[in-house]
Amino acid sequence: MHPATASEPVRTPALQAEGICKAFVSGQQRTQVLDGLTLSIEAGELTLISGPSGCGKSTLLAVLSGLQKVDSGRVQALGSELGQLDLRALERFRLQHTGFVFQGFNLFPALSAFEQVELPLNHMGLSRDEARRRARSSLEEVGLGHRMRLRPSELSGGEKQRVAIARALAKEPELLFADEPTSALDAANGQMIIDILHRIAHTHGTTVLCVSHDPRLVVHADRVLAMEDGRILSDRRTHAPLIDNQGTPS
Amino acid sequence: MVALARKTLIYEWRRFLPAMLAVGFAGLLQLLQIALVLGIFGSTSLYITGSSADVWIGYPGTQSVGSGRTISADVESHVLMDPAVQRVEPYIWVDGDWRGTGETGGVSVFVSGIDPSPNGLMFSKALPASLRARLAEPDAVVVDRSALDQLGVAIGQTATINGHPVRVVGISSGLRALGGVNVLCSLDTARRLNDDPADSGPTYLVARLHDPSQADAVAARLRGDTAFGPYTTWSATDFARISVLYWLFDTGAGAGVLFLAGIVFLVGAVITSQTLIAAVNGSVREYATLNALGVGVAALRRVVLEQAFWVGALGLLGASVLGIVLMMLARSQDVPVVLNVPAALACIVLVMGLAAVSGLAAMRSLRRADPATLLR
Repeated sequence: MHPATASEPVRTPALQAEGICKAFVSGQQRTQVLDGLTLSIEAGELTLISGPSGCGKSTLLAVLSGLQKVDSGRVQALGSELGQLDLRALERFRLQHTGFVFQGFNLFPALSAFEQVELPLNHMGLSRDEARRRARSSLEEVGLGHRMRLRPSELSGGEKQRVAIARALAKEPELLFADEPTSALDAANGQMIIDILHRIAHTHGTTVLCVSHDPRLVVHADRVLAMEDGRILSDRRTHAPLIDNQGTPS
Repeated sequence: MVALARKTLIYEWRRFLPAMLAVGFAGLLQLLQIALVLGIFGSTSLYITGSSADVWIGYPGTQSVGSGRTISADVESHVLMDPAVQRVEPYIWVDGDWRGTGETGGVSVFVSGIDPSPNGLMFSKALPASLRARLAEPDAVVVDRSALDQLGVAIGQTATINGHPVRVVGISSGLRALGGVNVLCSLDTARRLNDDPADSGPTYLVARLHDPSQADAVAARLRGDTAFGPYTTWSATDFARISVLYWLFDTGAGAGVLFLAGIVFLVGAVITSQTLIAAVNGSVREYATLNALGVGVAALRRVVLEQAFWVGALGLLGASVLGIVLMMLARSQDVPVVLNVPAALACIVLVMGLAAVSGLAAMRSLRRADPATLLR
């Protein structure tokens, strides 16, 4: 975990992609989803990738997070070449460095909010006390300190997504990936999720990469990448001043 | 560590119930089948287990107690010369045709001619001392209570075996036989009942050792001497096992047990694995999320296997409780049921094996827990 402050952000690329291509074949049909895409994502920022459905933004997220391999090109995450890692090493990399928040909350029905958050920590080699301390503080951070003994069936949609965020956050990851985190939520809950993601990037120095077509997110992102047909159309910053960016899209 | 497997099992017990029932009934069926077979076929080794002999001497190649041939009486002195042997006595087996006073027709009986002295070895555990003493009277026989109707006699009445008159002097219990009726008498009476002049010696010699734990060694030592004609030796445990196995496999009952065990295993495994697969599929997105967060596939497999283990253990518990109740019921109705440690262990191994195979089958559906599928 690299503590960073909002006033002095650390501007080293956490994620770098170089000329990545990815195609899916279904029957005779071959669809080029990513087409020679190059970009870099800086640490400690909330970066939003937006675009119409089918533009390849979710595939880009899968590739940058090491969930999928590219057909050609290179992906570097925190200095590791993801293409060089085997399945085990990728799992280990994700365990140590990444958090995920998905559109569906994907919580185990049998576990309380506290246990949902504690479960992945058990596999990180943390002591029982440390795992519980982290689970508690993450849940408190997303505002669920008073509801952590409840099961998913007793929580609202927004609360479930906050548990999912706490689950990712408790790992204290350098990289946090979020895929359409607000699309299943109403306006108020969506807003709350956006605020939390933004806060995580700025107070924990976490690199937050979020894929969404939700326009409400745009104003909260530090940087917005617009995608279409497997390419990046525009790259603009909202809050922070624009700096010379080596990761200018090709 | 968050006990995901157990908590899911408890919270979603309805989902897992069919698997537990399948495992439980597979175990119960197997348990009762083995107990019945052991109960019925165990009586074929009663002659050995009800006696206190440590070593048996009989004709080579004898396949069960009931199919012995006579050996030379001179073997007795040879056996007695062994320093480990404390006592030797003859045992005569005669197949007889019983004609009672009642309208029973002919009944096939197994006549056991034994030494009626108080320290006799044969049936020392099955026959009360007072009844044994009465066998010393000429032509006296003792029969099992359960066979009285079959034989058409009551205590004090007479009948004939192979045309020779006998008198029922006592009734015992626990002497049931398979395929006939056991009749106990003295060695002298048995010799009179045997109408085959070629049979001159005893069918068996039974020996008691100073140290019963030496049975295997002594049996091996006494074997192989041909100076007194053909004979061989067994330790009592070996001979009892040979007898039971002969009945199990000669009658096809053993093959039946194995066949049914196979069917029970197959049906149980199909139901259990389908239930577990459905449970894995129901949580596949959650498993995929854990994998995205870096929890290895191996750890997820352990969760599925642990669930299979608990399903097996709970099924086994249910089967044990029901099994004990049913066996007590059977005992109270005089149904021969016996369960020993190896048979109970075999049931446990079968049930847990069934659960393990089902767990392994369910583990395969974890392949669908690919986190990349969550991003579409």
